Amino acid sequence: MKILNELQGRAQSAMKRREFLKNTSLGLGGMALSGLLSNVQAKQVMPKAKRVIFLHMAGAPSQLELFDYKPLLQKLDGKPCPPSLLKGKRFAFIQGVPDMLGPQFPFKQYGQTGSWASDLLPNFSKVVDDVCFLKAVHTEEFNHAPAQLFMHTGGPRLGRPAMGSWVTYGLGSMNENLPGFVVLVSGQSAPSGGKSLWGSGFLPSHYQGVELRSKGDAVLYVKNPDGVSRDLRKEAITTINNINKQEYDEVGDPEILARIKQYELAFKMQMTVPEATDISSEPDYIHELYGTEPGKISFANNCLLARRLAERDVRFIQLYHRGWDSHGSNNFESLHGGFLERVEEIDKAMTGLIIDLKQRGLLEDTLVVWGGEFGRTPMQENRGGVSNKFKGRDHHGEAFTMWMTGGGIKTGMTFGETDDIGYAGIRDRVHIHDLQATILNQLGVDHEKLTYTFQGRDFRLTDVHGRVVKDIIA
Amino acid sequence: MNKKLIIIVGVIGLALFAYFISGNSGEKVDFNEQVRPILNKNCLGCHGGVKQQSGLSFLFIEEAYEAAKSGKRAIVPGNASKSEMIHRIKSTDPDLMMPPSQEPLTPKEIEILEKWIDQGAKFETHWAYVMPEIEEPLNIDAYVEENLVKNGLSFSEEASKETLLRRVSIDLTGLPPTLEETEAFLNDTDPNAYENLVDRLLSSQHYGERWAAMWMDLARYADSQGYQKDRLRKNIWRYRDWLIHAFNQDLPFDEFTIEQLAGDLLPEPTEDQILATAFHRNTMTNDEGGTDDEEYRVAAVIDRLNTTFEVWQGTTMACVQCHSHPYDPIRHKEFYNAYAYFNNSVDSDLSSDVPKKVLFSPAQKAYRASLKKQIESISDTLSDEYKAKISEFVSLKAGAVPIMEELKGDSSRVTRVFVRGNWLSHGDTVIADTPDFLPPSEYSKDRLGFAKWLVDGKNPLTSRVIVNRFWEQIFGNGLVYTLEDFGTQGVKPENQKLLDYLALRFQNEHDWSLKSLLKEIVLSRTYKQSSVVNDELLEKDKYNYLLARGPRYRLTAENIRDQALVASGLFSDKVYGPSVKPHQPDGVWNVIRHVDRWTTSENGDQYRRGLYTFWRRVSPYPSMITFDVPSREVCVSRRIRTNTPLQALVTMNDPVFVEASEALAERMMTEGGTELESQLKYGYKLVLMKEPDDKRLEELVKLYHTSDGAMSLVANVLLNLDEVIMKS
Repeated sequence: MKILNELQGRAQSAMKRREFLKNTSLGLGGMALSGLLSNVQAKQVMPKAKRVIFLHMAGAPSQLELFDYKPLLQKLDGKPCPPSLLKGKRFAFIQGVPDMLGPQFPFKQYGQTGSWASDLLPNFSKVVDDVCFLKAVHTEEFNHAPAQLFMHTGGPRLGRPAMGSWVTYGLGSMNENLPGFVVLVSGQSAPSGGKSLWGSGFLPSHYQGVELRSKGDAVLYVKNPDGVSRDLRKEAITTINNINKQEYDEVGDPEILARIKQYELAFKMQMTVPEATDISSEPDYIHELYGTEPGKISFANNCLLARRLAERDVRFIQLYHRGWDSHGSNNFESLHGGFLERVEEIDKAMTGLIIDLKQRGLLEDTLVVWGGEFGRTPMQENRGGVSNKFKGRDHHGEAFTMWMTGGGIKTGMTFGETDDIGYAGIRDRVHIHDLQATILNQLGVDHEKLTYTFQGRDFRLTDVHGRVVKDIIA
Repeated sequence: MNKKLIIIVGVIGLALFAYFISGNSGEKVDFNEQVRPILNKNCLGCHGGVKQQSGLSFLFIEEAYEAAKSGKRAIVPGNASKSEMIHRIKSTDPDLMMPPSQEPLTPKEIEILEKWIDQGAKFETHWAYVMPEIEEPLNIDAYVEENLVKNGLSFSEEASKETLLRRVSIDLTGLPPTLEETEAFLNDTDPNAYENLVDRLLSSQHYGERWAAMWMDLARYADSQGYQKDRLRKNIWRYRDWLIHAFNQDLPFDEFTIEQLAGDLLPEPTEDQILATAFHRNTMTNDEGGTDDEEYRVAAVIDRLNTTFEVWQGTTMACVQCHSHPYDPIRHKEFYNAYAYFNNSVDSDLSSDVPKKVLFSPAQKAYRASLKKQIESISDTLSDEYKAKISEFVSLKAGAVPIMEELKGDSSRVTRVFVRGNWLSHGDTVIADTPDFLPPSEYSKDRLGFAKWLVDGKNPLTSRVIVNRFWEQIFGNGLVYTLEDFGTQGVKPENQKLLDYLALRFQNEHDWSLKSLLKEIVLSRTYKQSSVVNDELLEKDKYNYLLARGPRYRLTAENIRDQALVASGLFSDKVYGPSVKPHQPDGVWNVIRHVDRWTTSENGDQYRRGLYTFWRRVSPYPSMITFDVPSREVCVSRRIRTNTPLQALVTMNDPVFVEASEALAERMMTEGGTELESQLKYGYKLVLMKEPDDKRLEELVKLYHTSDGAMSLVANVLLNLDEVIMKS
C-alpha cells in the first residue's frame, strides 16, 4: 500500500487539510470527520459509551415467561379477562373475551439483587446483577413491522433513518476500515421490518447499516473475483488511482481526491472484513462460553462476532434474532414450542457476551441493549374468539421488559414496575422515544439536537418526544 | 502594510459595509430579504404555526398585529418604540428578553426590525407564491451571464466534442453513445451537427427510459407492497411502461399531470389514462396479520397528498398534518381540505390491492397492433413464421394493475380534521379545497379539479417546481437547491430571473413540452461549457451555483450499470416490459418466509437497463442502493450523491461488473486490432469516446504486463476510472 499512501499524502498536501475534509464529500472514511464537523452541536457531555450492541428479539418475546413474574396471574389462569382491560383497547388478534394465561414456567430470585428470572434462563440468571432491567417499557405500535420500525427509526412507517444511521451520522465512524453501522441477522429469517430497519432513510446512503452475512461474502462484493489475487487487486487500484490523480491535475475537481481515498479504503476493507468476521480463530474456552459453532447461522455466533466488532470499534452493532411470535397458533409460534428453542438459543450466548465484554474491559464503554419490539398480553390469544390450540399470547405494547448494561448504565437495578398481572406499567414507565434518547445520551449526543432537514422539516430520531431516563444512569 | 494598518483598514471596511447593508440611508427594508429570515430563525419556533406562545404568531398578518394575551401589541405598524416586540428583543431582563435562553439578536437585526416596523411593518408574500413575471424575456445564457458578471466571473470555454457527446447522450437518454454513434458525430462537419445529435437523442426510445427512471423516485415506484409481507405487485410495471411511453410521446406536462392524478375521472377515459393513475397506487399496503386496514388506508392517502404537494408544488405539506405549518402560511385545517380531494378513492389497504383493472400497457398495445399487421400479411398460415408470430401475440398478456377509482354518491367519504394528526381523533368536518396561500380553484372539488388547478397556468409554483427538477437532472443542482421545498425554509434561488424565465417559457411557449424545454437547455452555452475547475473558481463558487462551468457529477446507479453494459456489448436494448432480475448474490432475498425466489433472468433480460430491475421494498437491489437509489418507500426528490468504499467494491467485484469487464476485454481483443496499444485505446474509447493520452496508456500497459496479460482486469480498471464514474 506504499504507493497508495504516498499518493494520498501528495494529494492531501496539495490542499489545506481542512479544505480537503470539506471537499471530500461523504465517504464512509471521510465521514468520520465530516460527520463530527456537521453535527458538533449535537454533542454535549463526555460520552459514557463509545459503541452500542443492540440485541433485538424480533417477533417480541414474552416478558411474562422470562422476567416479569406475576404470581397473581397464575391464580387467574383460565379465568375470563375482566372487561375493563379490553374496553377501548386495540389488539392485533384478540377478539371478544379471552382467558387470562398464567406464567408457563417457574420463577426464582437470583443474585444480590434478588431479581426474578424464569427457569428457562439457567445462564442469564447468574448475571442478573450485571444488568439494569426496564420493566415498564411501552410502545404505541402493536404490529411487528411498524413496532420494529418505531423501535429502530423512531416512527412506525417506512422511510426514516435507523438509530445506527443517526449515530454514525452524528458521531462518525471510529474505524474507517469497517462500516460504522453493522447488522447481524439470525433466527428464522430477517425481521418483519426488513432491511428498512437498517436503511438510512433520508440520510445519505453511506449511513445505512451494512449486513454482515453468515453465508457467502460477509460484506457483499468484498471478495475479489476468481483469479484476482490481493496483489493483483493492489496493482489494479494503483492504476485506477494513478490515472485518477492525473485526472485531478487536469480538471481540478476535489471529488476525485475523495474517490482515490475510497478505493484505498475499499482495499483495506477487503482485508479487515474477513479477518474481523472469522470467529474460528477464537480459542475453545470462548466457544464454550458463547456456545458458538463456526460456520453456522446462529445468534451465538453473532454475539461473538459482536464482541469482535466492538473490539474493532464498530460504532453500532445491531443483532436481530427472529422467531418469538408466540401466539399459540401452531407449535412453532407457541410458548411450549418455538419459544423454548429461542430462549435456549439466546440464554448462553447473551450471557457469554456480557461476561466476555466485562472480562476485556469493554463493557465500560459498550452499551448493550436487549428486547423485543413490544411485549405479550397477560391474556391467552384467541383469534376468531376461540382459544388457540397451543399456549400463546397476543402482541402487547403497554408494558414489556428490556434490559441494558454497560456504557454508563447502572447495574443491579430494576427500573419500572407493572401491575399485578403485568398488563400495564404503574411506575417509571419508559417510552421507546425515551429509550432512544437515553441511548443517544450515553453516546454523548443530545437527542433534540441531532437533526437532519428533509422535505423542509428538521427530523430527529425521537420525533418531537423523548426524555433521557436519568434514573438508570450511573 | 503592517498588521495594525490592515486591522484599521479592515475595521473601516466593515463599518462601511454595515452602513450600506443596514440601509442607514433611509432605504426601504425588504421584508422577504431582511425581515423574514430574522423571524424564521428567532421567533417562529414559539410564535409561528406550531406554537402561538402568549397568543402571538408572526405567520399570518392579522395575528401579528393583534394584541397578545398580555394585552400588548407585539407590532404597532409605524411605531417601533410602541411595539412590544422591540422592547422585548432589546431587554436585558431575563424574564422579558426575547428570544429566551438563546443568543440575543444582533444590533443590526434589531435595527432592521425597528425600521421595518417604523416603515409600516408590511408583510410581503414569499417570492415563490407570487406568479412569475418577465417583461422582456431574454434567454438562458443572458440570465446566467448577468449573474456571472455581477460576481466577477465569466463563462468557461466550450467542452470538447467528445466530452459534450458523452454528456448530452447520458443526460438525454441515460446511455453513453456507441462507438458508431461516436464516430458519426466526431466526423460530422455539419455546423448543425450538435443540434442534430440532440434531436436524434430526443427521439430515441431510450429517452423515455431515462426520464422514467427519474420520475420513478417521485412516484415511489416499486414491485412490492412494503412492510412485513411485502407481497409482490406483479403488474405494476405496466405503469412504468406508461411513463416511458408518455415521455417518449412527449405527452405535454399538463396532461401528464392530469392523467396520473385523475385519469380515471376524465370523460370516457382511455385505458392508458386509467393506467396512469397507478402513480398514486404505488403507496404501500400493510398486509401484516392483525393490522388495522383503515389506519394504513389513511397513511396511504396522507402519502398521496404529501407526495402530490412535494412533486408539483415543492411544498412540505407533511408539516401540516399535526399542526399549522411552522414557517409557511398554511393552517392545520387546510391540510384536511386538501386531504379531502384524495380521501374519496375506493382502495382500502387490502392485500389484493383492489381496485385493479386488467390492462395492456401502451407499449404492449402498439406491439400487438404491429404483430397483428404482420400476421395478417403472412398468407401461409402453416408456416413457422406465422406460428411464431401467433404465439408471440398470445404471450402478450394484459394484467390487473392497481388503479384509482372514485367512490360515488352515498358511499363517498366524509373528511374530518385529525386532531394533532392522530387518525383516531376526529375534529371538524371539512370539504375539499385548495390552500389559501395559492390561487383559488375554479374547478370541481375532486381529484380531477385539483389536477386541473395545478396546471392551468395560474399556479405560481407548478411550472417553477417542474423546470427546477429537470434543471437539477442536467446540472446537478436545482436553481432552487431544495427541489422539495419552495417555502420560506427552502433555499432561495441564486438566479430567480432565470427560473422565472424558464417557468413561463415552459408553460406558455413550449406548451408544457419537456422535449422543447430540454432542447433549449442543452443547446445553451451554459450547458456546453467545459467542467474543468481551478482554484479561483472553487474559491468563488465551489458548488457551481453560478454556472461559470459545465456540470461534473457522479453518474446515477442506473447510468453506471447501463454504461458498463453498453461498453461491454452485453446491453439489451429492449425497451418496455416487466421488471427483470439481474444477478444478485444468494441469500439477499432471505427477508421473510415463503417468498418468491430471486432467479436471475435469462435470454438477455439479465442485461437490461437498470430501471427495469425488480424493486422489492424490504430488500432493494443491493448494488443500486449502494449508489444512492432510494428504497422507494416514500417520494424522494433529490438523490444525495455519495462516494464510498462500498461503491468501489461494487464496480470492482459485483459479478455484473465482472462479467461486463470480461466482455469488454473480449471486445478489446477481438475488435481492437492486434497490437496491445490499439486494443487498450479501443477499450478506452468505448467508455470515454476518446483515446487515452500517453501517460494513461502507459499506466494501462503496465498493468497489463504486471497482471500477465489479464485484459479483463484492465477492462475493469477502465470501468472504475473517475472520469467514467462521473459525467463531465
